[in-house]
Amino acid sequence: MAERKSPTAVLHEGPRALSDQQVRDIEGAELKEVLDVDIDDVIEYVHKGLKSLPDYTTLYRKYLKQRWDVYDLDFTQDKIDWTEKMTDAERNSFLAIASGFHHGERQVEIELPVFMIGAGEEEKLHIAAQVEDEARHTVFFDRFYREVVGLQGDDIMDILDASFPWVAETFVGPFGLLAYQADEVRKNPYDERARVRYGTTYFLWIEGVLALSVMKVTLSYARWRGFLPAYYTGFTATCRDESRHVQGGMKYLQDAVRKDPTMTREIHETLRTILTLAGVASREVIYEPLGWTQDEVRMLMFQQLGRKLNDVGIRLPPDLQAMVGSVQPTLAGG
Amino acid sequence: MTEPEFFSPGWAAAVRDALADGPTEQTRAGKLAMYWDFFEGAKASYTSSWALGCRDRPGGPASLHVQWGGGTVTDCRITGPADQPPATYVLGMDYADWQALHDGYDPQRTVMYRKILVEQGEILEFFKTIYFFTECLGVIGRVPAAFGALPVR
Repeated sequence: MAERKSPTAVLHEGPRALSDQQVRDIEGAELKEVLDVDIDDVIEYVHKGLKSLPDYTTLYRKYLKQRWDVYDLDFTQDKIDWTEKMTDAERNSFLAIASGFHHGERQVEIELPVFMIGAGEEEKLHIAAQVEDEARHTVFFDRFYREVVGLQGDDIMDILDASFPWVAETFVGPFGLLAYQADEVRKNPYDERARVRYGTTYFLWIEGVLALSVMKVTLSYARWRGFLPAYYTGFTATCRDESRHVQGGMKYLQDAVRKDPTMTREIHETLRTILTLAGVASREVIYEPLGWTQDEVRMLMFQQLGRKLNDVGIRLPPDLQAMVGSVQPTLAGG
Repeated sequence: MTEPEFFSPGWAAAVRDALADGPTEQTRAGKLAMYWDFFEGAKASYTSSWALGCRDRPGGPASLHVQWGGGTVTDCRITGPADQPPATYVLGMDYADWQALHDGYDPQRTVMYRKILVEQGEILEFFKTIYFFTECLGVIGRVPAAFGALPVR
């Protein structure tokens, strides 16, 4: 990988237009070709899909074509970059961000299956594919932490235990909420209001805002510095998977609100809890070694939230708008 | 000094004192002032109650009833199924998970991994102060307690 423009350049350039050829390149790239795909194009691709939300069968068919083998990745060069080229400051900042994903992917993998029970038949196909995606992403981070960072353990939970000290105390906000909302759905799988609240936390906030914002920070750093090629390849492929998840999730929320406009209240109440928690940080994270500032990460999150709400036609009342202004960067996703 | 038995009146009294004092300086170190401002703000205005149950406790199920008000704990006692007062949030956890929390298992993961669950109560409201709850769970876990062995099933 050649050295590219700064990680935050696109933040100041604004949304980019993707040609039909670029979309075909992103959609059809084999795993080994993903290294040449620009992460900013993949994130733009997520939003392009939100303009005309695909149906669940289309998303499932895309999954079948885009599924990649996490064991095809070779982390040999990443290990060299990690141990010989990256500075301590870069490694520490990287781990502070990546660990939220390591745990976030595991969390969404286990919280998603209950959502399938009350879903339509075509949506079940899409959710089943998404569960498999999240499991694969969990293995991706397990391999990265073992083979690159050098954590040791007998099983996946051992590695999760070892990386947990890098996870902020505020992680329990969105991911604890999702766990308890999953339990609500488990108890009443056809309760559409419980499902919309769950969907707001998972699809809108965790995937649509947190994941897409924060995954860009480490990926744009890797692309900028020309480091960690297997991480870049696997996590950019993960981002392409997330595009299907976000599109499916936004379709679910949009359909739910169109069918019953009072569902907007469930979305707002869920966001009110989330934004209350998102205004607090427990640890200071230094972004500068990765080419970012805290304000730039915050701006990225605002952009992601604004675009999702706009694309699916959800408006925020003034009190929630005011809360958005105090959101702290949250280093997690799933 | 002999440790009070887990879920005994003596243990509940020690929990009350520990919650009133809040997290130790050691716990507070390394976390941002913003986070502790949130914690103190929640504690000062919190008027809800928790019934923290132990589902499979030897001797029968019981709850630790914790009532908050005026910035402190106003009631903290062990209750049985027959004398449990109404609580804003009824939560349940298994004996082994209580013991793990006491042995140092992380309170954040205790919530995230659903070892403790809200069985009754409004979840969105409960989560608005979840950082306050998880820190209190850590405080409760650190209160000395003697655990007996669970009978083999």
